[in-house]
Amino acid sequence: MPRTVPEVHTDLVLEPRDVHFDWTGLPLHWIPDEPFATHTINVLHLLLPEGERWFVEVFKEALPLVRDEQLREEVLGFVGQEAIHAEAHQQVLDHLLAQGLDPRPYVRQIAWLFQRVLGPKPRLTARRRRENVIERVAFVAAIEHFTAFLGNWALNSPGLDRAGADPTMLDLLRWHGAEEVEHRSVAFDLLVHLDPGYLRRVRGMLLGGPLLVHLWVRGVRFLLAADPSLDGRVQPSWKAAWHVARRGMLPDPVQSLRSGIRYLKPGYHPTQEGSSAQALSYLAGSPAARAAAGAH
Amino acid sequence: MTPRAKKPAAPRTRATDPAPALAFGRDARHDLENPPPDLYGRPQADRLMAFLTRFGDAYSPAMGAPLLRRSPRRPESRGRAPLTLVVTAHRPVAEEVVELHLADPAGAPLPAWQPGAHLRLTLPSGRQRHYSLCGDPADRFGYRIAVRRITGGGGGSVEIHDELHLGARLTARRPRNGFAFCGEAQVLLVAGGIGITPLLPMAREAQRRGLDWHLVHAGRSRASMPFTEELTALAATGVPPAGGGGRVTLLAGGVPTGAELLARAVAGGAVYCCGPAPMLAAVQEALDALDGPPASGRQAPRRRPTALHFERFGAAPIADGRPFTLQLGPGGRTLPVPADRSALDVLREADPDQPYSCHQGFCGTCKVQLLAGTPEHRDRRLTAEERAAGALLPCVSRAAEGETLVLEVEPR
Repeated sequence: MPRTVPEVHTDLVLEPRDVHFDWTGLPLHWIPDEPFATHTINVLHLLLPEGERWFVEVFKEALPLVRDEQLREEVLGFVGQEAIHAEAHQQVLDHLLAQGLDPRPYVRQIAWLFQRVLGPKPRLTARRRRENVIERVAFVAAIEHFTAFLGNWALNSPGLDRAGADPTMLDLLRWHGAEEVEHRSVAFDLLVHLDPGYLRRVRGMLLGGPLLVHLWVRGVRFLLAADPSLDGRVQPSWKAAWHVARRGMLPDPVQSLRSGIRYLKPGYHPTQEGSSAQALSYLAGSPAARAAAGAH
Repeated sequence: MTPRAKKPAAPRTRATDPAPALAFGRDARHDLENPPPDLYGRPQADRLMAFLTRFGDAYSPAMGAPLLRRSPRRPESRGRAPLTLVVTAHRPVAEEVVELHLADPAGAPLPAWQPGAHLRLTLPSGRQRHYSLCGDPADRFGYRIAVRRITGGGGGSVEIHDELHLGARLTARRPRNGFAFCGEAQVLLVAGGIGITPLLPMAREAQRRGLDWHLVHAGRSRASMPFTEELTALAATGVPPAGGGGRVTLLAGGVPTGAELLARAVAGGAVYCCGPAPMLAAVQEALDALDGPPASGRQAPRRRPTALHFERFGAAPIADGRPFTLQLGPGGRTLPVPADRSALDVLREADPDQPYSCHQGFCGTCKVQLLAGTPEHRDRRLTAEERAAGALLPCVSRAAEGETLVLEVEPR
């Protein structure tokens, strides 16, 4: 990764970038001989398309509540970026299906979770509807803390290069990770704008954090069972996760937990995690972003 | 003003073909009445999903109760107020280029900024224009911008040149940055004409950090290029570059090729480019040549690609637009869309909460539902199925002359 001087970039203009990925020939285990690590990261593709489409809907609903012109523009830039992320991961899902790994039972549940359980609730009074929008923004802010953490990890994960991971998939993870780092403050700033209360922020993390971890574990188990090339031979375990993380193919579980706890500190702000300079520098050279910029 | 001309980054072909259909994706209709089945096909309801559904159904109506609402004692958040600035200097710095110094009327410190940031000024006539800040970010008491006169443009630069005098007051938004400087170890700054403005603070920052930097400034004549003395003085202060030669190259007269502009680029380093659209396109092309062909198939790229930073300006100019009409709901308000404006611009005037994002027809944020009328799809996002179901992206898509597109209006 380009070596850059870490520095907080303030007041960045956010705009979606078009990207082009070519998935033809992507091996099912895109980290060679590492089905466990591959599928642990693949859970992203299961969760993100539906999850990020939900972010887009929540933020569109929150837009009329925003009283600051600059924050409004940041929210719109965020929405466009998330919409592109969702489609980029969707393409990988389509590719998995073509390779005989059918992700649909899991995706069906995730769609139910985001569209039905966390979706818009009819028959609520205007005041309750407004509170529900803010509550969901608090969930998004908590999840965005993790996506920024993961994005920062993806940008600084030489273990994946050492393991010979597929370059197009690495570019997807790092392009997405870099945009997550780039826009990491937006959801939090929106939450504080709508409700600066500490209780709301903590609730978003205490409900959203464990659910996210549980869905992840469930997703790994599901993918390993659904992988037609494995015949159920690879069993997930925390020990296996620990070993793979030690070799740099997954984020360190202890650091991940610590990061979740940092979100609860009263003086927390997302700018304290990751480097905008490193993220923007990656984006300026990302093959997928360069390919789309040249293609049109 | 040249670098902020509304031109796309690269020559753009109009993509009117629908996007390929997805096996299952955003246009899939998931069953939202019956809870999803067990993950592994066992004949039982999924316990986690059942639990989450019950939890959600109790949680949402509970919102608004004490502890589950925004504290009513807190005042509502407000937007940050715009800045009021006064012109403290107005002087020519090159042919057809004036430099403006702006300060707080009471001499208070101004919001901080970083190299690459711009200011959106509202001129006394009401015109709004973006200008890159070209002063020193360490100076917290003044902003500096430089403006080239563009005769026959929108009139903003002419107003600044001829009508804005010392002591005039302007409003501005706080500086924003769409061209952040990332401080890579090897930096090439490429400026075309007045495009030097955002790069000048970057050069200063690169010098301060002791980076290996070089700046190429191209212009039609030496007399038309501002800040050459300032640049030369800056380059003379620090350590000379390792490879010999100076840090600043001035290319006056003629239109340099991409290869000439990138003569000092280091593969794997970073290029920051600000100038007219054809120049940026030339640099993009030359950079692809420098990096070699993209990795084909599943081979790892030979080396890190060179980073190309440039400022994106959203909407491309409307090609071949004809006037048509939008109608908000059957029998609703009609809004004329002129040939030179997008349907989105017109919609946003009617509804400031209309979402949008990319302005280029690829992100889908502004999607609206068509009830009647024949559209001319110009996006590259919607699938044939979505188009057939009436989806439309008003940021780029239009209709034939005189056509009326009736849109669904959501009750808010």
